[in-house]
Amino acid sequence: MGQDIFEIVVNGLKLIVIFLLMVQAVPILVWVERRGSAFIQNRLGPNRVGPLGLLQLLADAVKFLTKEDMLPNQAVRFLFYAAPVTALIPGVIAYCAIPLGTPISIEAFEMFGRSWGPYVFPMQGFDIGVGIVFVLGVSSLAAYTILMAGWGSGNKFSLMGALRASAQMISYELALGLSIVGIIMLYGTFNLTEMINAQQGALTYSAFGHQLAIPALPNWGLFYQPLGFILFFAATFAEANRLPFDLAEGEAELVAGFHTEYGGFKMLMFFIGEYAHMMIACGLVVTFFFGGYLVPYMTPEQVQSWVATWASSPNAVSAWTSVIHLLSYFVKFAFFMWFFIWVRWTLPRFRYDQLMDLGWKTMLPWALANTILTALVVYFAHTIK
Amino acid sequence: MPSTDVFTTITLQHYLVLSAALFMIGLTGVLLRRNVIVIMMCIELMLNAVNLSFIAFSKFSGRIDGQIMVFFVLTIAAAEAAVGLALIVCIFKRFREVNIRFFEHLKG
Amino acid sequence: MTADAFIFWFLSLITLGSALSVMLLANPVYSALSLVMTMVGISALFVTLGAYFIAGVQLIVYAGAVMVLFVMVLMLFDLRAELQAFSRGQISGALKLATVGALAGLIGGALLLSAGNVAEPSMAEAAKLPPDASKALGIVLFTRHIFGFEALGVLLLVIAIGTVALARAKGGTHAKH
Repeated sequence: MGQDIFEIVVNGLKLIVIFLLMVQAVPILVWVERRGSAFIQNRLGPNRVGPLGLLQLLADAVKFLTKEDMLPNQAVRFLFYAAPVTALIPGVIAYCAIPLGTPISIEAFEMFGRSWGPYVFPMQGFDIGVGIVFVLGVSSLAAYTILMAGWGSGNKFSLMGALRASAQMISYELALGLSIVGIIMLYGTFNLTEMINAQQGALTYSAFGHQLAIPALPNWGLFYQPLGFILFFAATFAEANRLPFDLAEGEAELVAGFHTEYGGFKMLMFFIGEYAHMMIACGLVVTFFFGGYLVPYMTPEQVQSWVATWASSPNAVSAWTSVIHLLSYFVKFAFFMWFFIWVRWTLPRFRYDQLMDLGWKTMLPWALANTILTALVVYFAHTIK
Repeated sequence: MPSTDVFTTITLQHYLVLSAALFMIGLTGVLLRRNVIVIMMCIELMLNAVNLSFIAFSKFSGRIDGQIMVFFVLTIAAAEAAVGLALIVCIFKRFREVNIRFFEHLKG
Repeated sequence: MTADAFIFWFLSLITLGSALSVMLLANPVYSALSLVMTMVGISALFVTLGAYFIAGVQLIVYAGAVMVLFVMVLMLFDLRAELQAFSRGQISGALKLATVGALAGLIGGALLLSAGNVAEPSMAEAAKLPPDASKALGIVLFTRHIFGFEALGVLLLVIAIGTVALARAKGGTHAKH
């Protein structure tokens, strides 16, 4: 965690702040989702509580808190109560591993009669060498929440929804994992920060000892792995159980899927968990294919030297550089969150066999082909001169 | 005063004892439980215990081959679970029962 | 007590506790969920041993896929607490426990005997492993152990075909009636 008490405290606070940010983002996202869906469907949406209806979710939260706490007759008590609590945990832990900005470095300073530092704080919960493996591993634990909720409710619709959802998550995890093998081979690392650093500057293809620079485009993974991007992004929709793949809660067949029996604040916890999955998906897409926190066309050093022209102390330069990168990250992140909402209100739901066909017979072979092609290109283009 | 080294210094032996204990728990489960699925889960537990000792040996001998073995064991365990569960589902469909005693009627 | 020792004891407590509940709980669904907890604990122990990649793979393969299959099958069968979770028969039960005890004694004895004789594996040896061993792991896997790797590929193919055949066979899950 750190060398001394200051570093440990800051690192601990960072985790709490990221957790609170994720939870606090949910009301805003729900507002965007409801207003956005209304906009797409030519309605007004919630616009009564507060300016533009922004306080609607606050009112909803109060309503959720005051609801009766129900336990169905057939429910398994422990699992029924444990499921909503565990819904949040994998998502939050996985999100903490995604880098949000350049590290902030703080010079040595004097406080309480002793000298501290210098410190370097990465702008993420924790930096892990095998970042992507960790994120995939932890977020795959989310299937248990769904199974616990579905079986614990003692309701056949819940159980059917849970079985569908977990089967879908296992199936699409394959396509998801294979679609990023290309990216991993290209950058030669599992570490998310190193992947982002490999995407600096303008687009430059290098092969057979030659270089082809296209200064009009940034050096993003998207331009190396377009097929990987499409497959990955589609698979994340299935992983997050969002339309067009939200078979788990197809209300025409299953009432509401695994959370049929849940109401009040427990329901809200599932909601937050679902949004946490969307956030992980968007964070990973941005990291792999859109340069992460990098400002397009610019390297972090260029940003830093620009900040140095107006910021005073070295600490301020480092902090402002990090904030600029954080903003850049959030712009990209917000676009993909909007994309999730956009797709939800545009595409109809798949049938279950269509979903499985798409996962196993279409996306998996294409992801395999992409992997093999990338392996060949990386090998030949980088070894033959 | 007795030495507290055994609690404060973690050596290879600690990991081996832990792994042996996990293996024993798994073995007891395989011998005593009657639900076929639980028996399979206990086998997975034994495989995991072995994995732990592989990794511990790999770490404390400075050779990476132990991790390769774990890689192989993981793959085989996944394959075993796939086939085993498919068999169990077939048997359950036929007998509506997962108790291992009922599998004596395998003639159909 | 150092942080390393504390983490080890904490994790081994969790792992052993959840492993015991796998064996002792009568409800198989709780057993399966405890086994998931055990897997997560073992994966964390892998991290304390510096095997980060294997720890992640353990999470993805075991906790994320294999155990989800187990839990799914259990929930599909909808088994509540069983009446005969453990085998009856006191003599056979005592025999089985004695067998386990004998094996435990053998392993414990072997560990005790080896503790003095084997040269204490030092941290100098442990330091030989690179801190992020994923690359070294890949290189060793595809050079020295390439035959095992290929054999595993064949095994997986056979398993895939076998499982499909099992599902399609008469009485299987996807049989054509």
